[in-house]
Amino acid sequence: MSMTDETDLAAPLGLTPPKLSVRDLVSTRRSASGESIVALDRVSFEVQPGEFVCLLGPSGGGKTTLLNILAGLDRPTSGQALLDGRPIQGPGPDRAFLFQEPALFPWLSVAGNVDLALKLIGVPATDRRERVMRWLDNVGLSRSANAHPHELSAGMRQRAALARALACDPDVLLADEPFGALDAPAREILQNELQRMWTQGEPRKTLVLATHNVREAALLADRIIVMSAAPGRLLEELRLHSPRPRHLDDALISRVVSDIHTSLMKEVDKDVARETGG
Amino acid sequence: MADEPAHSPTAEPAADLSSLTDEERAILAKVAGIVRKIQFGTVVLVIQDGKVVQIEMAEKFRLR
Repeated sequence: MSMTDETDLAAPLGLTPPKLSVRDLVSTRRSASGESIVALDRVSFEVQPGEFVCLLGPSGGGKTTLLNILAGLDRPTSGQALLDGRPIQGPGPDRAFLFQEPALFPWLSVAGNVDLALKLIGVPATDRRERVMRWLDNVGLSRSANAHPHELSAGMRQRAALARALACDPDVLLADEPFGALDAPAREILQNELQRMWTQGEPRKTLVLATHNVREAALLADRIIVMSAAPGRLLEELRLHSPRPRHLDDALISRVVSDIHTSLMKEVDKDVARETGG
Repeated sequence: MADEPAHSPTAEPAADLSSLTDEERAILAKVAGIVRKIQFGTVVLVIQDGKVVQIEMAEKFRLR
């Protein structure tokens, strides 16, 4: 019998030093009309090494801003973002970023795109070929190694981006709506692939994935952090102890999906009431 | 009792605790352990061929 045992329950409670932590993070920016817009409002949480966390919330709720800060692409207005206890100063090879658009170089082949990333982090040429082919094989693209991005479907391009990110062997993978632009079957296949690759990782990567898709979060995450509409605040957190691969019709998963959906709809109702003065 | 949670009218009466097998006790102890730890959440027992093969749970925290 496989059980949720006590060690399993203790794991996410902060007993090991966190891989990532954000403390009282505030991010504001100026609109075109000079108005100050709060994207993140005093956000604090921690992510344990090897944990798979989904940031779930409506579009415009600050998920991208939060990931950009963790990637070192953006600075917070106040508060702290830490990696292994040290303030994040900028991007680094310890964190890979997967965008909604695969962001491949169109003039390079699929293998060339993965190879370039390895070259940039200093992997010697003698090791690169084997590593490129291993990762293309892992994402089912070995037969398309010499194809250029425009020759591939959207799903295959995102696979290539995933291979490029993971080939660099980062400690942390940050993903911003990585499957948002894919059709439903391609999205499902890639969600399963990501689950498989994450589960097989030794040690497992720390993964923070932003999505507005409740089902995607429930399928993938150890922990779901539910964020509000703008300004982004944390509403609730769900810790899931359920084996993988998961399926949407699993009793726990469908219950979690409906539970989060109810919370988010309440949030939307509050927003509508605020805007209409109700 | 009036303050007891409502149960389905079709539910069978609970088994006599003294009649439980060791395996059934172990399962109930695991479930009780989870109930003691969490304030809000869901526990799901997955049963196959009349046996509990898995206990899954989701724990919820309100953050504000």
